[in-house]
Amino acid sequence: MKQITIEVTVNGTKGKLTIDPNKRLLDMLREDLGLTSVKEGCSEGECGACTVIFNGDPVTTCCMLAGQADGAEIITVEGLAIGGKIDPVQQAFMEVGAVQCGYCIPGMLLTAKALLMKNPDPTDAEIRVAMSGNLCRCTGYAKIHDGVKLAAKMMKEQQKEAVNE
Amino acid sequence: MSKEYSVLGKSEIKVDSLEKVLGTAKYAGDYDMPGMLYGGVFRSTVPHAYIKKLNLEKARKMPGVACVLDHTAIPGINRFGIIIKDEPCLVDDKVRRYGDAIAVVAAETKEILAEALEAIEVEYEEIEPIFTIERALEEDSPKIHGDSNIHATKHLEHGDVDGAFEKFDVIVEHEYSTHRLSHMFIEPDAGVAYIDENGMLTVVASTQNPHYDRGEVAKMLGVPTNRVRVKQATTGGGFGGKLDIGVQLHCALLTYYTKKPVKIVRGRKESTTVSSKRHPMVMKAKTGATKDGKILVTDIFQYGDTGAYASYGPAVIGRSPVHAAGPYDVPNVRVHAVFTYTNNPMSGAFRGFGVPQAAVVHEGQMNAIAEKLNMSQFDIRMINAQTVGCTLPTGQKLTESVGFKDTLTLAMEKAREVMDFSEGEL
Repeated sequence: MKQITIEVTVNGTKGKLTIDPNKRLLDMLREDLGLTSVKEGCSEGECGACTVIFNGDPVTTCCMLAGQADGAEIITVEGLAIGGKIDPVQQAFMEVGAVQCGYCIPGMLLTAKALLMKNPDPTDAEIRVAMSGNLCRCTGYAKIHDGVKLAAKMMKEQQKEAVNE
Repeated sequence: MSKEYSVLGKSEIKVDSLEKVLGTAKYAGDYDMPGMLYGGVFRSTVPHAYIKKLNLEKARKMPGVACVLDHTAIPGINRFGIIIKDEPCLVDDKVRRYGDAIAVVAAETKEILAEALEAIEVEYEEIEPIFTIERALEEDSPKIHGDSNIHATKHLEHGDVDGAFEKFDVIVEHEYSTHRLSHMFIEPDAGVAYIDENGMLTVVASTQNPHYDRGEVAKMLGVPTNRVRVKQATTGGGFGGKLDIGVQLHCALLTYYTKKPVKIVRGRKESTTVSSKRHPMVMKAKTGATKDGKILVTDIFQYGDTGAYASYGPAVIGRSPVHAAGPYDVPNVRVHAVFTYTNNPMSGAFRGFGVPQAAVVHEGQMNAIAEKLNMSQFDIRMINAQTVGCTLPTGQKLTESVGFKDTLTLAMEKAREVMDFSEGEL
């Protein structure tokens, strides 16, 4: 099989990758880049465990070919905690007890992060719609919803502090 | 009561949540080892059949294929199961369900593995498949294990059931059925086997039951238990579905022959096909009460479908009858439970072990009696709720801590706050 070369920015680092053209984006992230926070759950875009932020939008990487990522900017959970400081969505999910088995959590965090990047003050309904593509079998979703709300609040406070400084 | 504790009474951050939000928690599928092979299972595409021919040679000859094995390669015992050892690691006598494991393959890449699994050829001589409890119980039906399709029976009797049926004012008689249900843990089963630096065969797996897995792997390989180690990887949900062994036996067998690390990760379809399910049940109930709504007697038949293998069936049939009358003080109770083998997916442990199925019946009967007596669903439950001093159908006397009535009362108060009862109370 003739391989293809793509250029992609992952967690702030730009690089070139030579890969099989039939490789899924999920496998490229897990196998070629070792980003095993990206989880495979259903392999058909239903469960959301493999979600990453792709050019600002949450996407399920099991349903994308790696070649589609040429020129794209991707964020995985490995890219959320910058400079040893964890992101408000990570902190909030821990604090409200939204994390149980944890397998859905990377996808949940990134869907939440993508929402808050675009809409820093979402309503309850907006949170529910945004998170509806990510399945969790442990928590019953109430705490995940609380986590997103708390993250929004924490991000607002962080911004205020930054302005005051 | 006002004593301050360091942890009790406080909302603490879960110990493993940091590694989970950072994405560094290592699940079985995240393991990658030098020289690691990818393992996979060739499974039956028919529910009930003898295997006439199995051709592994084409797969064995493919470049990059390290190992292809059928049941003849198993050094120890080819039967496992959490309570009853009735499931083969690899099919020897006959296929009992769609998805039974027939052969295992280890290959250098996932792509070669997929091609090798495609290259395996099998010929079946099909047997009539049994998909219903009714057919399983008929005398002329094919027998799935041994000479009877009855997996287990249980009988529970308390008080004078026949005598009590002469005294009731109202009676309700209904049949209920519940469906098969998948745990659908978000992480499909996965594991990796390897031989560690001390020569110990080690399996790291997504499991709820590492101690049991260890015993099963040792027996299958015919080695002492102290030559096998099983470690639980961070596990992405189980809910009872990862109590049965998943990929552990197949990984271990492939590592035993190749001496190399072998990883098996089930796809969603494979995981859902072969992992256990909640027992589908058919339940027939006859319940008698006085005109004031006091339940005097209940007589229940519970039929359960344990599928092709027993799994936790013996435990589910133990639990379901003792909970059949629910959290109610019923003086006369008779429950007869019969679980059958079928060629359906295996039923096993699933949060509640048969108790949720039983609840469908005692709650359904309760509502039916309320309707017949024109009483509220709340009142009839308050009349019959267990309290301190009650004796359960098992003979256990409740001496303390029976919070059902208080709970119901508080729940009703809350319901009045948040629900609209303008069209009538429950």
